Amino acid sequence: MAELQKDPITRSDFLGFGVMGAIVGAILTIPPAAFVLSPVIKTDLLGESDVGSGWVEVASVSEVSAEEPSHFKVEFPLEQVYGERAIQKKYPGSQKSDMKYKLDNAIWLSWKAPIKQQGRQGSTGDIVGKPERPAFLDQKSEGFTESERKEIMSRLNVLSNSCAHLGCPVRWFPHEQLFLCPCHGGMYDINGGWVGGPPPRGMYRYTEAEVRENGKLYVRHKYDIEPGLDKQQPYVV
Amino acid sequence: MIGRIKTQTVEASQFLVDWMEHRTGIVTMLEHFLYEPVPKRGAWLYTLGSAVLFTITLQFLTGILLLFYYAPTTDDAWNSVEYIMTDAYFGQLIRGIHYWSANFLMAFIGLHMGQVFFSGGYKSPRELNWIVGVILLLLVVGLSFTGYLLRWDQDGFWASVVGMKIGSYSPFVGGYVIHFLLGGDVVGPATLSRFFAIHVWLLPAMIAPLIGAHLFLLRRHGVFGSEFEYTDRIAKLHERQRLEEYARYEADEDEGEPYVGRRDRADREGYERDGE
Repeated sequence: MAELQKDPITRSDFLGFGVMGAIVGAILTIPPAAFVLSPVIKTDLLGESDVGSGWVEVASVSEVSAEEPSHFKVEFPLEQVYGERAIQKKYPGSQKSDMKYKLDNAIWLSWKAPIKQQGRQGSTGDIVGKPERPAFLDQKSEGFTESERKEIMSRLNVLSNSCAHLGCPVRWFPHEQLFLCPCHGGMYDINGGWVGGPPPRGMYRYTEAEVRENGKLYVRHKYDIEPGLDKQQPYVV
Repeated sequence: MIGRIKTQTVEASQFLVDWMEHRTGIVTMLEHFLYEPVPKRGAWLYTLGSAVLFTITLQFLTGILLLFYYAPTTDDAWNSVEYIMTDAYFGQLIRGIHYWSANFLMAFIGLHMGQVFFSGGYKSPRELNWIVGVILLLLVVGLSFTGYLLRWDQDGFWASVVGMKIGSYSPFVGGYVIHFLLGGDVVGPATLSRFFAIHVWLLPAMIAPLIGAHLFLLRRHGVFGSEFEYTDRIAKLHERQRLEEYARYEADEDEGEPYVGRRDRADREGYERDGE
């Protein structure tokens, strides 16, 4: 038989080793664990985001095509590692703040098409009509009134190009009249609703978007992920 | 003259070997490593483990070389890979070996696992070596996954995004794991730094001692133990069957009548006994 412990150990020695071991172990493991896990603590426990919470300009809503979705590139400021705000404030000319990495997202904008027949997730997509562009956009591209801005927002789809399945960038195919995902064949209609393929839901929508008096659309980096489910949901990248 | 030089060289090298053996015992160890009876059956299949060891050694060596030029920042990563591929002497060769031996490594691991599984090499007392091997497999998968992002091109970037999102579907811990890997809540500079740290230090530092443990356990029980045990057992079985046959014939000869006749008589006797 293999024997590990040759000398018998007293109860008080054993407990002493246990207490000392716990203290020393905590001193040795907590700092490195917190060091490595700090992004997890910041995002999941403190609810912070690396993406700046400010409004970002997308485009003038009059540029959105009447028949098809149009895509626009947005650049969100990022405060991850060497984009950190405190560092930038402290050392404005430092190399750290010169780093060029930004979060580039593409936004698909389309006019809502009326749903003629409601589909069901996982079996059939919606049957949709023609997209409805507000008629007053033909006359003016800025200086909208309060009610016009409301109408624009109620008719506009503000969609993320990140597929709801595994985050590949989706693209509009005019011939199929669908958004198609290159990775695993996810399909969405012009409203971003699910049509076919593996995605568990429709395309992600920007929940915070607004049209201002200059006729331009502004968004913040927030999506319609159901609250409470976000730990289980694949994150929009 | 030449004869004397030859004898002197032999003596000098013998002295060196003895000196090393006395202090480290390395000669006996090498003997133990290199000279081993190998079964004839399926001899080529037994090179698969060595093939894995060889490719993973290539990974270590070419990886060290690539580190001389690679810069793990979002601004420079792709450019430094581009520099390796276009300007550095033999850059394409070094990176090509790193890339292709990584691919072959996965294939060899699969074949090696299959060989061990189908030859029963995982059975007692070698279970722990199988477990260590599976941990090694997972570490290699981790290395493949983290290495893919480091080149920071569209291919590696989106493959990593998809891979991380697959991970995010895992129950309860998905979100935490993903935010740990991302170093935040979106792909960015922290993600690249993390993947670099994991790919270049964490996983290699974990994999190296485990390879040592894998080889130690292999040496402890011998590579072909199960194979020899198996052939031994088969041989013993055949021997026993042969002896039993002989014994039967010998019994038949004692009774002075052929085997078939004796069986018939036994049947008859049984029949008569039943009838009583």
